[in-house]
Amino acid sequence: MSAWSSAGAMWALLRKEWVSEWRTRWGLHAALLFAVATLTAVSFAVGRLADRVDVLAALLWVVLLFAALSSLAHTFVRETEGRTLTLLRLVASPATIVFGKLLFNLLFLALLEVVIVPLALLLLGGPPPRWPALLGVLALGTLALASATTLLGALTAQARGRGALFAALALPLLMVVLAAGVSGVRAQWEGGAVAPALRLLGAFAAAMLGATLLLADHLWEE
Amino acid sequence: MALRLLLWLVIAGGLAAGFAWAPLVPVLGATTHVLYLHVPAAFVAFIALGWSMLHSVLYLARRDMRHDDHAAGAAELGILFCVVATISGSLWAKAQWGSYWNWDPRETSIFFVLLIYAAYLALRGALEDGPRRARLSALYSVLAFVTAPFLFFVVPRLYASLHPSPILPSREQGSMDPRIRVCFDAMLVGFTGLFFWMLNLRVRLGALARRHAEVELEPPDSAVAAAGRGTR
Repeated sequence: MSAWSSAGAMWALLRKEWVSEWRTRWGLHAALLFAVATLTAVSFAVGRLADRVDVLAALLWVVLLFAALSSLAHTFVRETEGRTLTLLRLVASPATIVFGKLLFNLLFLALLEVVIVPLALLLLGGPPPRWPALLGVLALGTLALASATTLLGALTAQARGRGALFAALALPLLMVVLAAGVSGVRAQWEGGAVAPALRLLGAFAAAMLGATLLLADHLWEE
Repeated sequence: MALRLLLWLVIAGGLAAGFAWAPLVPVLGATTHVLYLHVPAAFVAFIALGWSMLHSVLYLARRDMRHDDHAAGAAELGILFCVVATISGSLWAKAQWGSYWNWDPRETSIFFVLLIYAAYLALRGALEDGPRRARLSALYSVLAFVTAPFLFFVVPRLYASLHPSPILPSREQGSMDPRIRVCFDAMLVGFTGLFFWMLNLRVRLGALARRHAEVELEPPDSAVAAAGRGTR
């Protein structure tokens, strides 16, 4: 399959995922409800944290991570439960399917962040951020998060107890994203260097994308 | 048998010599003894992770269940050595830093490696025996190994760490007492040998369990024949 036809197939898959999600919207609704409920509960419990940017950075990433984990596997679970995966595999290669789903997960995470980040800043009272640095950390963090969890979603969709298993498998691997993300967000508030966190997030995302590309062909039996 | 005896002699001798013969590192005092367990255990935990990944890749390439036995066995033993490294490190931290657990980046990293191994075994538990379990576990093992260098080497540099690195003067620095070096090397060799001996037992057990399952599935006549072949 040429690069152009692969790109076309990925684009078609992204559109198909978007339409499927838009019809039901349960994944997006669940993640957003989870995030809003968590942020409200946290801000009610601890109040505003304008002078504790370390705690604020950690809370922001924890909410983002758990909201993402509550729904990121559902693109593959939907195919398994709807018995549509076989058809999908007939029309696209495993790598194309995985990267198409990864594009959708990126879009899904971006939508989540558009809601969660301003809400977190508003409810928890964060100081004015350095927007280019904050957006850089969020963008690379999102790429790292999506690249690590898309293959895992495909993997756990084939096992029993998918939901709980996905979180159990993903969390230890995502410790790197959490550590670098918190460090980067905190540094942009404290006026420190954001570059080390960006480098780590970029390197982790590149390693995971490389592993995904190499392993995709083994995801499903012939 | 002789090799097994030699292995136990190396470990017992290394440990006894570490307590009775080798001097203490001045800054560390009596906690020097903990390092004869802690560092080799952490080293073998990393070897186990690498061994598990290597056999996972080999399984994906060759689809031979013996590689799956190696990968699963290495992960199970990796947990054991990770626990030894975590507990011994915690005892050392209590003596040196005043608390068993300090959320030091290196402590946290080894804890997350432990969680990765546990997640690998949880995945295996969620799948039926057979090629599908072997394939999906192999995929997770490779992803876990890709994460490990970030946890071991990169994250600890992002946060201030109390953990000395290196904990003992390196060979190049030349200031380590030769008696400490001998005990330390003996424990490294001993723990590595212990890992491979236990792994060998685990792999043989896996092959036997598979054979047993095959015999149970075979019709009675061929099962008797197979059992007869097994006893010869």
